[in-house]
Amino acid sequence: MNSILSGVIQSFDMVALCVQGDGRFQLLGQATPWFNELFAGSAPPGALRLEGKSLFLDNFLVDAREHWGARKEGSLSSGPFLESGLGQGDHALEARALLVEGQCVLVIVNLGQSYEVNRKLLQAARQNLLNQEILELEVSKRTVAIRDRQLELAARLIYAAGFRDEETGAHIKRIGLYSGEIAAQLGWSPYAVDDIRTAAPMHDIGKIGIPDKILKKPGPLSASEFTIMKTHASIGGEILGASEVPMIQMAAEIASNHHECWNGRGYPRGLYGEHIPEAARIVAIVDVYDALVHERVYKPALPEEQALAIMAKSVGIQFDPRIFEVFLANIDTMRAIREEVKDEN
Amino acid sequence: MSAKPGLWCDSINGNDMLQKKICLLGAFSVGKTSLIRRFVNSMFDARYFTTVGVKVDKKVVTVSSEEVMLLIWDISGEDEFQRMSASYLRGAAGYVVVVDGTRPKSYNTALAVQQRAVNVLGDVPAVTAVNKVDLVDSWVFTREQEDNLKQKGSVLYTSAKTGENVEQLFEVLARAIL
Ligand SMILES: Nc1nc2c(ncn2[C@@H]2O[C@H](COP(=O)(O)OP(=O)(O)O)[C@@H](O)[C@H]2O)c(=O)[nH]1
Ligand SMILES: [Fe+2]
Ligand SMILES: [Mg+2]
Repeated sequence: MNSILSGVIQSFDMVALCVQGDGRFQLLGQATPWFNELFAGSAPPGALRLEGKSLFLDNFLVDAREHWGARKEGSLSSGPFLESGLGQGDHALEARALLVEGQCVLVIVNLGQSYEVNRKLLQAARQNLLNQEILELEVSKRTVAIRDRQLELAARLIYAAGFRDEETGAHIKRIGLYSGEIAAQLGWSPYAVDDIRTAAPMHDIGKIGIPDKILKKPGPLSASEFTIMKTHASIGGEILGASEVPMIQMAAEIASNHHECWNGRGYPRGLYGEHIPEAARIVAIVDVYDALVHERVYKPALPEEQALAIMAKSVGIQFDPRIFEVFLANIDTMRAIREEVKDEN
Repeated sequence: MSAKPGLWCDSINGNDMLQKKICLLGAFSVGKTSLIRRFVNSMFDARYFTTVGVKVDKKVVTVSSEEVMLLIWDISGEDEFQRMSASYLRGAAGYVVVVDGTRPKSYNTALAVQQRAVNVLGDVPAVTAVNKVDLVDSWVFTREQEDNLKQKGSVLYTSAKTGENVEQLFEVLARAIL
């Protein structure tokens, strides 16, 4: 066996030992200076006890003895480890357990230069990963910044539309959050969820085209006034229409269709069922919910239970039954959004 | 030979002080090596010098007037190129999971690594170090992520650069182990 190993040992900076019956180690061939320094010390030649010299090696010997005991093919590597010697700088070592002609052999290699070469390669690869991470972070930061700007623009647009008393900033924000939550529960992609969060608050933007005397009339509207009022949906669709920005496209769909009804009796087009864009079906539900559970000049806030009972009557008539179910299943989240974004006064 | 959890007889100096093995785990470049260097050698280097392989350091800490020698295993980061070998954890009495508050990815790695540590070690004490607190301007961790980490045990906001909370990090773990 010496003949098999001795050539290999000499061409690498390594030490080979075979395990004796008592668990001690017998050097095969020459020891090296670093081996003597780290593991052998001034011990007399002969059987060596390796345990207790290196915490790492001790740990590896547990695995090694198992490997030998199982008489497994192949070698078991410890992976690289660093030991500080007497001089400056660490020794980079790697231990291997293997069987040679039935003998249990432990090889300890000093990785020397190749360790540093490998370390530099890994360093370069990791530096690359880090740079990529920084880039991704920058992109996502900018995406957030763009979203924030879009949201702010939308808010100003809504403000310009001259919202009535009930359309407080908080209401607008909540509509976006409720809608996003339901869209997420319906399995929309994160991008689309982000889109609806910004788009839903603009559903009533068309009210910019409704005369003040109708929009701000304290009492109920006459039939002809109501006909004019209803045009806010198509006006909104036109204001937001023909955009190439997906979020604005969605906003246009919502503005046009948020008064359509599941049974086809809504306006402006009388679409029914799944012909109504899903985003608009979501907003139809949360808009009513938010209006019912909050106080308005002309009505008190309803307890949630009562609001839901009223809404339940419109399921299949105004509301998509499936989305209403998702809405109910997530009512806790809706409530949490209300808690988070309260009407300011 | 069987491993004695967290115990190792230091035959080099014939010292029979209580010894406990602890491991530092986490993604690469979160500051594991830097935290150990700060704790053991009171030094810091801003250059990135990636660790390959395992290095074991030692330091004595005093916990409620009892001296313990911490055997600190710096287990090189886990990434696409390298996986954490479970056998490195054997016998650890506790561990530190290090995350980098400026890198969202390190949070996901931490959760994965923590799970693997639990699988190997069971319910031994663990402390999370959210490192690089000196870089507040680049902080990306969310409240939710930080709360999530807190549910898994003590969390300390550390900086290997300034030394903030570094001593405390090892003390908290040592105290939990004893
Ligand atoms: N600013 C700052 N940099 C740190 C801190 N800790 C580590 N670093 C730097 O982060 C990089 C990676 O640190 P290192 O200890 O090698 O990470 P490891 O791969 O987890 O061992 C190095 O450039 C360190 O100088 C810290 O607390 N603050
Ligand atoms: Fe409307
Ligand atoms: Mg390192």
